[in-house]
Amino acid sequence: MEQVQYHIKCKKGEVNKAVLLPGDIERADYIGTKFFRDSKNIVENREFHIYNGSYEDKPVAVCSTGIGCMSAAVAIEELTNIGCKYFIRVGTCGSLSSEINPGDIIIATGAVRGDGASKEYIPIEYPAVADYRVVTALRNRTKKKNTDYGLGIIRTHDAFYMESPFAFGDYKKRVAIWAKAGTLAIENESSILFIIGSLRKIQVGTILVAAGNLITGKKNTKDELQKSVDEAITIAAGALVDLQEEEEEKI
Amino acid sequence: MKKMHHLQIEAGQIGKFVIMPGDPGRCHLIAEHFENPRLIAQSREYITYTGKYKGLMVSVTSTGMGCPSAAIALEELIMAGAKCLVRLGTTGALQKNINLGDIIIPTSAVRLEGTSVEYIPIEFPAVADIDVVAALIRATQEKNMKSHIGIIMSHDAFYKGSIFADPDFLKREQVWIDSNVLSVENESSALFTIGYLRKVKVGTILTAVANHLTQKVINDEEKINPIFHQMTDLCLEAFKNMKEE
Repeated sequence: MEQVQYHIKCKKGEVNKAVLLPGDIERADYIGTKFFRDSKNIVENREFHIYNGSYEDKPVAVCSTGIGCMSAAVAIEELTNIGCKYFIRVGTCGSLSSEINPGDIIIATGAVRGDGASKEYIPIEYPAVADYRVVTALRNRTKKKNTDYGLGIIRTHDAFYMESPFAFGDYKKRVAIWAKAGTLAIENESSILFIIGSLRKIQVGTILVAAGNLITGKKNTKDELQKSVDEAITIAAGALVDLQEEEEEKI
Repeated sequence: MKKMHHLQIEAGQIGKFVIMPGDPGRCHLIAEHFENPRLIAQSREYITYTGKYKGLMVSVTSTGMGCPSAAIALEELIMAGAKCLVRLGTTGALQKNINLGDIIIPTSAVRLEGTSVEYIPIEFPAVADIDVVAALIRATQEKNMKSHIGIIMSHDAFYKGSIFADPDFLKREQVWIDSNVLSVENESSALFTIGYLRKVKVGTILTAVANHLTQKVINDEEKINPIFHQMTDLCLEAFKNMKEE
């Protein structure tokens, strides 16, 4: 694995092993420049922007995944190839629960595999489950801030224009089965990240901010949303610190 | 008060915290850990005892083998007031590093059974409640015991996926061995799925009584029973910890 990875253009040792995974390229730039100390831009190739830096004096990194499981799988596979071990997706989602309002934080324990990529990896019966250590680290950091959060199963899928407020036709009807099952929210990357996490024995979790509620139609203003996203970023970066400290204690 | 159709229990006769072994023959062994255990009902493969543990009202109900009967037990226990339920049972290990007698705490399960698919499409993950998983891990750590934590597989056909199955069973299981599935059993995926849908807390604790790779097996009840006593202690401590939080 000394070779430069095909898409992320890095090789072993070049990216810190605890990585935040936003979908949006601009959010990777934002995290890298505004939240990390001693930040260094490593790569800008396709939808992958990578920064190294430190957070609470621990080495961390951020890499955007682009939208969807296809490019997210490429990112996490290649980052794992070069030695990365802890991953937290931080992003936005659409709430499916009347109890989760725009701006609320959600920590995923598992994901409905409505995507195509994960089916190429392992039969559909296999669960897309977040690593319990990452879930615990995220919960602990969230509790410290006295922030309310939703905890549970989310839905990952591929076709934004089938299941979103911008969708064609009756999207509420399409998502009703998942809302009724207690699925908290809809997004586009977590199921494949969780699956690859279990298959490659790396630690993967997800923290999301509800940008809107698909059932009630409520939406957030851009400023309100940014405040919640900032909070999710600090929780996720803090969790990456705790996960690395936990490993050091074991050694 | 109306008796539940299969379990023959009534609301109020069971605790919020319930241990669920597969084998009805193990209920009395688990009930030995309760203060003043009382036999509540006995019907088909379902035996229920209720008692106290450190002041907490607890019950044990057997599920029988397989997801069809386990789903019935879970549904009726929930209707009778159960809020936190732990399956306690045996399993066949799929990884070389799991020894006979080792404890396994699943985070989730492969849904290779028919029951849960009647509830919700197959892409929905069968995930154990994270608070139950954390409480079970904490209980094992407090007793300085090791456990294996990860994904297990639940399936329906024992004679297609066990060391007693026809000889090419390992070929069928290779996909799960390669995907780091810890072990095979028959109930957890439906219990996790239904637990999530009904908004109750469900987890599982298992002990490996066989290893499919080494083909070793424990048949002797005298060797298995002490492990069941140990797992019962872990379960009850986990309940107590959860109650306090």
